[in-house]
Amino acid sequence: MYPAAFDYAKPATVAEAVSLLSANPDAKILNGGHSLLPAMKLRLAQPAMLVDIGGISELKQVSVNGGATIGAAATYDDLLKHDGLKAHTALYEAMSKVGDVQVRNRGTVGGSAAHADPAADIPAALIALGAELVAVGPNGTRTIAADDFFVDILTTALEPDEVLTEIRIPASGASSAYEKFAHPASGYAVCGVAVALERDGEGTVTNARIAVTGSVYKATRCSAAEAAITGTKATAADIEAAAAVAADGLELAGDHYASAEYRGHLTKVLTKRALTRAAG
Amino acid sequence: MLLSQRVLCKAALAAQARGYPAYWLCAVACQRPKQPDTQPVVRGSAQPSSGQGYPCAEREGMGSMGETHVIGTRMPRADAPAKLRGQERFAGDLPVHGLLHARPVLSLQAHARLNGIDASAALAVPGVVAVLTAADLPFSGGGPPRANESLARTEIVYAGQPVALVIAESEAAAEEGAALVEILADDLPVVIDPLAAMAPDAALARVLTKASEDATEAAMHGVAAGGVVDAPSERLSANVSGRTHLHMGDIAAGFAKADVTAEGSFSTAWVHQGYIEPQTCVAIPNGMGGLTLHASTQGLFRTRQLVAQTLGLPEDRIRIVAMPVGGGFGGKFGLVEPLTAGAALAVGRPVRLAFTRSEDLLASNPASGGRIEVKIGARRDGRVTALQARLVFDTGAYPNSPMAAAAFAVAGCYHFPNLDVRGYEVLTNRLGPGAYRAPGNPQASFAVEAVMDDLAAQLSMDPIAFRLKNVPVEGDPRPDGKVWPVIGLQECLQRLSTHPLWQKRCAGGTATNGRYREGIGVAVGGWRGGLEPAAAFCNLDPAGVLTIVVGAVDLSGTFTTFRMIAAETLGIDYELIRVVSADSSNAPIAGGSGGSKIIYTVGQAVQRAALDAKAQILDLASSVLEAAPEDLEIAGDRVRVKGMPSEPAYEISIARIAQLTIGLGARYAPISGRGTGAQTANAPGFSAHLARVGVDLDTGRVDVLEYVATQDVGRALNPAAVEGQITGAVVQGIGWGLYEQIVHDDSGQVLSGSLMDYALPKADVVPPIETVLVEVPSPDGPFGARGVGEPPVIPVAAAIANAIQNATGVRPTAMPMTPESLWRALVK
Repeated sequence: MYPAAFDYAKPATVAEAVSLLSANPDAKILNGGHSLLPAMKLRLAQPAMLVDIGGISELKQVSVNGGATIGAAATYDDLLKHDGLKAHTALYEAMSKVGDVQVRNRGTVGGSAAHADPAADIPAALIALGAELVAVGPNGTRTIAADDFFVDILTTALEPDEVLTEIRIPASGASSAYEKFAHPASGYAVCGVAVALERDGEGTVTNARIAVTGSVYKATRCSAAEAAITGTKATAADIEAAAAVAADGLELAGDHYASAEYRGHLTKVLTKRALTRAAG
Repeated sequence: MLLSQRVLCKAALAAQARGYPAYWLCAVACQRPKQPDTQPVVRGSAQPSSGQGYPCAEREGMGSMGETHVIGTRMPRADAPAKLRGQERFAGDLPVHGLLHARPVLSLQAHARLNGIDASAALAVPGVVAVLTAADLPFSGGGPPRANESLARTEIVYAGQPVALVIAESEAAAEEGAALVEILADDLPVVIDPLAAMAPDAALARVLTKASEDATEAAMHGVAAGGVVDAPSERLSANVSGRTHLHMGDIAAGFAKADVTAEGSFSTAWVHQGYIEPQTCVAIPNGMGGLTLHASTQGLFRTRQLVAQTLGLPEDRIRIVAMPVGGGFGGKFGLVEPLTAGAALAVGRPVRLAFTRSEDLLASNPASGGRIEVKIGARRDGRVTALQARLVFDTGAYPNSPMAAAAFAVAGCYHFPNLDVRGYEVLTNRLGPGAYRAPGNPQASFAVEAVMDDLAAQLSMDPIAFRLKNVPVEGDPRPDGKVWPVIGLQECLQRLSTHPLWQKRCAGGTATNGRYREGIGVAVGGWRGGLEPAAAFCNLDPAGVLTIVVGAVDLSGTFTTFRMIAAETLGIDYELIRVVSADSSNAPIAGGSGGSKIIYTVGQAVQRAALDAKAQILDLASSVLEAAPEDLEIAGDRVRVKGMPSEPAYEISIARIAQLTIGLGARYAPISGRGTGAQTANAPGFSAHLARVGVDLDTGRVDVLEYVATQDVGRALNPAAVEGQITGAVVQGIGWGLYEQIVHDDSGQVLSGSLMDYALPKADVVPPIETVLVEVPSPDGPFGARGVGEPPVIPVAAAIANAIQNATGVRPTAMPMTPESLWRALVK
């Protein structure tokens, strides 16, 4: 279990990290390392250089004031200690269901987003909460909506020489939840569903965002279910009807542990459960 | 102060000084009241260890006694402190001068004609010393097929099979080199479905080579079925490498007598033993054509034999040093040792081969899967009349499946007056199987216990009451025509029938919460127990410490129990006894640590060696104290004249006795005890379990919520160790039942090649496990002990399945019972 040889750099600033990435096209950013290092040991990834951003203190900042701004190198454990993040329930629940204590001590929201594992919890929560991801590259800073960030399996909208610096969760009155069916070995989501509901004073759903992970090749919005629940009072019957179409239009993934059909079924079950809690 | 109290107090103080929790120590075993007969007694972890003591079984026999001082106490494992502190040194930790590191190159193809390899890129890696192929290994061809093919020769027979071995100055260089070796091989048709592979015209899993019978591993576990093997009448393909046929009575007449019948077809998966330490060996050539091997092995002598046969060397040229084993469970009876030894001889330097986790999942020897069909008939009064079963075990690339053991197990827990059990073992292009804790038995139990439950339902009988009508007792015929000795299955079931958890089920008290339903299930299992001759020595050291020398390997605390046996037998303090494992060049004979036989066989030898030493000690003391031996007693750290005051004239310390036997001019012969034995009668151990589960009807996910395990252990010599064995086995059984499977695709690729995919049960899915020890003493085991390792893994998956059936009305028919498989059954 030895990775191929690689160089290692530990920049002190984001600018330094960007220049290292620009100068070394085969470099990868090392953050928590809980996805990248196992991949390297299995020789599934063989970066020529690791740029360790763990020494950049500004990337560990967290501020919560209605919305939240999360530094890309803040660990799950850091974040779970912020009570203010509990208002963003889908993200808080997703973080608390990542791996185990050891993983949460090292792993980061930024790392999970940038790695874009199709079975990771965080991408679904970020999409459901309408998060924005901030990247810094040679040409400056840009902001990417979570809807546009996750492009494909292990592929994001980030350029190779860009550093993800922070994740912004907008302030909203949304009530959210995350439901997960974990793989018994890896702990990753066989299926995970994050929902966020905004409702008016009458209790009518004015905006619904529902995102699924694990069942699909990249975290994806369940637009049929969103449409079905929007405009309703989110009664049990409304939720049932929305959950029934949750897998519609999704490109479902399947493997030896869980077939595409079963994952589609789980998508419906978890959508129902997440909606029920978010609406309750 | 009584001796026993003193022993316990010292043990307690020592334990507390080491920071052990007080509950590790037994509730004052010395205060146990005697019990007049051999009625079985029950001890449970749920009982308070408040100091009242437990009644204790009594029987006469060699060294047995009603009142014991050390036996029956909860002794912390002697090997625990080093392991808990990370100070244990395993085979892979050894510093060896001039050590080279080996990494195997594994085949990606499951069946192929091997044309050669291209090692040029690997050889160019700095630090790489050699890239070995089968032709480079000094093998004689005299080993079993799997050892002979440690590196594939002409035919690759499974994906994951080692084809070449890269030897380098560092592990990293070896790995770098291994990644660069190219295997040149042409695909052959892949055989992966054992049922299809039986057909006369099926493609063959081997076309260029043969895999001959290798029954040694089954024999190692004492599991030869003993059935009658008929002349094969069916026309089957050459993939069928073995058959068994057990029959008794008249099967047609048996079913004719039945008022009800139930049947089912059950599939089981390949399951890895899940030991923590992967397969590891360090081989050091001695410069004279021989080798020393430091191995993670469960059996010194079997490993020596395997290596010697494979290399074509006399056994005395091979020295095996058994290192502390980081788990074996049957999977470490010799796998990487021949290859490591051959590589070390080939390069003339010490070589270490330590599998990675993935290599262990791809290329080791897990339990194999298959299909078991069972049909049972019963009369209205609840007596079974007939059993018919057909077992097909996939044996992968090498014939070593537990088919024969499973055939016995299918019929072994009930008295079937008429039975017909046919077993088949089929070669495929998967890795070869090995032993795993009660080989074949969890699979058999999963099938039989399901059908028994279904019959009880048809008869509207309580499942435990139904089983109690049919369990064998002493004198009943076994499926192989022999007769059962005294066994405690009935007692285990009786104990469960009154357990509050079963009472809850009888009262219909399982909970339902919307789409989450609970159920309670029962299942039983049994293991005949292995037999193998054993010897032990013990010597009194200059310091007055009695050192016991054995050729067994310390697994699951057996050495701690040896110390207890010797302490009890001699009357010497537990702290003044130690146990060492000698290497194969000088160790007394012992079987491998498998088959639940070490305490039963080596324990007996230890007991006899202690008795021999005791006689010598008393004889010497008799001479010094000028008192008859029968007037003397050994009390902790001294020998004293019974009934006399504690004065120098009436006592002599064990240490002083030692001094009188050692050194220039000493006048007495050294104290050196010898014990040998050849147990010839099995002491079967049975277990009966209850599981309470919760089933999420929407997803099919199953949670095990509560678990009760009863087991007839004969006599719990160290209840803490016995309960540990049972608890660990239940966890492994939960893995069998719900999680674990090595999955191959149709092309023979392993899809579960890491612990990211292969699911072992973790702490968060294991419920509280209550152990209830039933003690029906075995006639020949030390202090009445039976083997305890195997029985508790057997009924777990079956008990969970029956609980799921109780919760949902759906009968699971495939292990593991994954959420998707259960969901499919639920929506059917």
